Amino acid sequence: MAPILNSVFAGSGKTKVFVYGIISVISLSAILLVLAGTLDPGKADRAYRAALRVPNGQAQLTAAEPITNQDAAPMCVWEPVSATSGSLAAFQQARPTSTTASTRPIDFASQKPVRTIRDPYAAYSAVAVDPINNEVILTDENLFQILVYDRLANTPAQAKMTEPKRVLGGLETKIEFQCGLYIDPKNGDIYAVNNDTVDTLVIFSRDQKGNVPPKRELITVHGTFGIAVDEAAQELFMSVQHENAVIVYQKLAQGKDAPLRFIQGGKTQLADPHGMAIDTKKQLMFVANHGGFHEKIPGAEPALSFAGAGGKDVPNWPDGGQKPGSGKNLPPSITVYPLKGRGDLAPLQVIQGPKTRLNWPTGLAVDEDAGELYVANDMDDSIAVFDITANGDVAPKRMIRGSKSMIKNPTGVWLDFKNKEVWSANFGNHSATVYPMGASGDVAPLRMIRSGPLNEQALGIGNPHPVGYDSKREQLIVPN
Amino acid sequence: MAHPQIAFFARLANGNEQPKRKIEGQKTLLGRTMHAVAYDEVRDEFMVPVPLSQSILIFRGGADGQEAPLRVIQGSKTELVEPERLALDAVNGEIYVPREGDTVLVFSTLANGDVAPRRILKGPDTGLGAGAVAIDTVRNFLVAGGGGGGGGSKFRIYPRTAQGNTKPLRTIGGPKSGLFGLGGPIAVYSPKGHIITTVRGRGELAAEDSYLGIWSVEDDGDVPPKWRVGGPNGVFLMPRGVTFDAKNKTIIASDKRQNAVFSFYFPEAF
Repeated sequence: MAPILNSVFAGSGKTKVFVYGIISVISLSAILLVLAGTLDPGKADRAYRAALRVPNGQAQLTAAEPITNQDAAPMCVWEPVSATSGSLAAFQQARPTSTTASTRPIDFASQKPVRTIRDPYAAYSAVAVDPINNEVILTDENLFQILVYDRLANTPAQAKMTEPKRVLGGLETKIEFQCGLYIDPKNGDIYAVNNDTVDTLVIFSRDQKGNVPPKRELITVHGTFGIAVDEAAQELFMSVQHENAVIVYQKLAQGKDAPLRFIQGGKTQLADPHGMAIDTKKQLMFVANHGGFHEKIPGAEPALSFAGAGGKDVPNWPDGGQKPGSGKNLPPSITVYPLKGRGDLAPLQVIQGPKTRLNWPTGLAVDEDAGELYVANDMDDSIAVFDITANGDVAPKRMIRGSKSMIKNPTGVWLDFKNKEVWSANFGNHSATVYPMGASGDVAPLRMIRSGPLNEQALGIGNPHPVGYDSKREQLIVPN
Repeated sequence: MAHPQIAFFARLANGNEQPKRKIEGQKTLLGRTMHAVAYDEVRDEFMVPVPLSQSILIFRGGADGQEAPLRVIQGSKTELVEPERLALDAVNGEIYVPREGDTVLVFSTLANGDVAPRRILKGPDTGLGAGAVAIDTVRNFLVAGGGGGGGGSKFRIYPRTAQGNTKPLRTIGGPKSGLFGLGGPIAVYSPKGHIITTVRGRGELAAEDSYLGIWSVEDDGDVPPKWRVGGPNGVFLMPRGVTFDAKNKTIIASDKRQNAVFSFYFPEAF
């Protein structure tokens, strides 16, 4: 079929006009039949897609040339979308009319949107490597998936994406906005932190796939983000954005198990905490803060958990009550605490100030042997590296940053010590990139895994809760 | 959600079309969980609440990139607690901010810094229920949507300038109303007095009985919507906020489970 059409398109201008006309008729017919209710929408969709050359698994027109030298008047008169007359507007308005108390409600349940804004590709938010099984695991906050790739996968420049080896996703998995990720170094279990729409840490076996329930669940405080695990002590750490806190559990805690301890309070300087990392040699804990702060009222009310955990009678459960009008915007920071710290304690070190270049610091990772802290510095489009001992307004000792690096809005960073590599999850461009440990400057990645076309920016939509309309510029306003 | 931002898409954007602009980054003071947005066409400004820093941020209409807000309402006099939602009355120059479900704080749109609310609606007779608010600037009503007691949600209609312990003029809700739970921020189209909202279905993460519903501000009692759009068993899985483009007779709604924004051509409402 395609060769025939291509040969037809190679013909005269009149022939081209005829073929374009046929395609237009097929498209319009499909739309008309749906509107008339005489064609199954699924079939109509297939007809419509075929007519418009959307890939449909069947032979179809693959190339077309513009029509030139038209002597006659235009085939179609341009009609604005807002037109109140014309065929399309007429079809759209052929619908139920009056509304009375007895006829309520008039259902337009099957009405389809005229436009849908949606990114079709995975947006990677966190990354981790399973060095034993030679796999890299990525969380996707756009399509709500955990994706497992071969560690050495490298998407060719001309390819649209790399197919993952396994995918976890679907309602049974309880995966939504997964921002923190940890891989058990011994058995490959996947620990994935749901942020604030599912107050549950979900744990999967490394070989699970598809729409399956987690192997284990831990019901958490509302708003968990970062995760780190002390394997020697068998303790699991999570940051909590909404409560400016860090909670610590036994590593194998599940259900509504209570935390072992928590850090929270005005002295901590925790302010919208995000990523976490630990140094078990120096017994330190590192937390990245975006800066949004409010005070808590100690003992007033327990921190919220929509999944039903916690409460006043649960030990080591953080406070939830906000002091009215106590909000502040603090500069971004990395705060450092003793690994066994608890309560309202001041940080041992604070990396903060203009020299740090911190701009929504998000993911963290620690190289204990080298004494270095890696920061996924979201709005600086960089992976910044500091000395573990850095304190105050200090510049990073090196950065991976620049157009060759392909780093864009990094929100996750992971160190693969076995293979001496640094991974960046780039929320802004559908990619995860990997570099030699020690890389500095504008260096090209060793490899890149993409879920979408090269250089196609992610829309970045994540939980578009409200939507507004700028009537002056005719623009939709979509906050995350 | 790993990356806060506000993206601006062309009215006719469709599919994977890139935004015209974004604001994001440390200078913007944006934080996660922005659960409302309003555009002020009188002053060409837009505003969002930020619950983690207890603030209302007001930006110039054309803000772009890492741009700071023009004004920030924040501080001890504001009495703000976890501001999740807001509504704008551009005609009378006021911002309405629900607080902890039982209070509505009202500020001037020109407020800046640590300022007290100019009115507060609060008290046992109010019956609030204020998860989301909207203003009918033609009939001068404040519409507060939220918890209904005994399950479901309700709309409570007050005089626009109500303050103190004021009873609602009337209440919309009940088992016949189909108001299982509000999806997100609500909108009022004042020329026709329509309350536009999404209704979350009864699933935990996704619910096919979700829909977009339209009531009248004059409705009273256990009244179903005038129109249901896009569901039940339609396009929605977990709908959130709504707004409208009156000029082009379009209602716009977001969906959390699909990370999507839908535009419905719906001339009946305009």
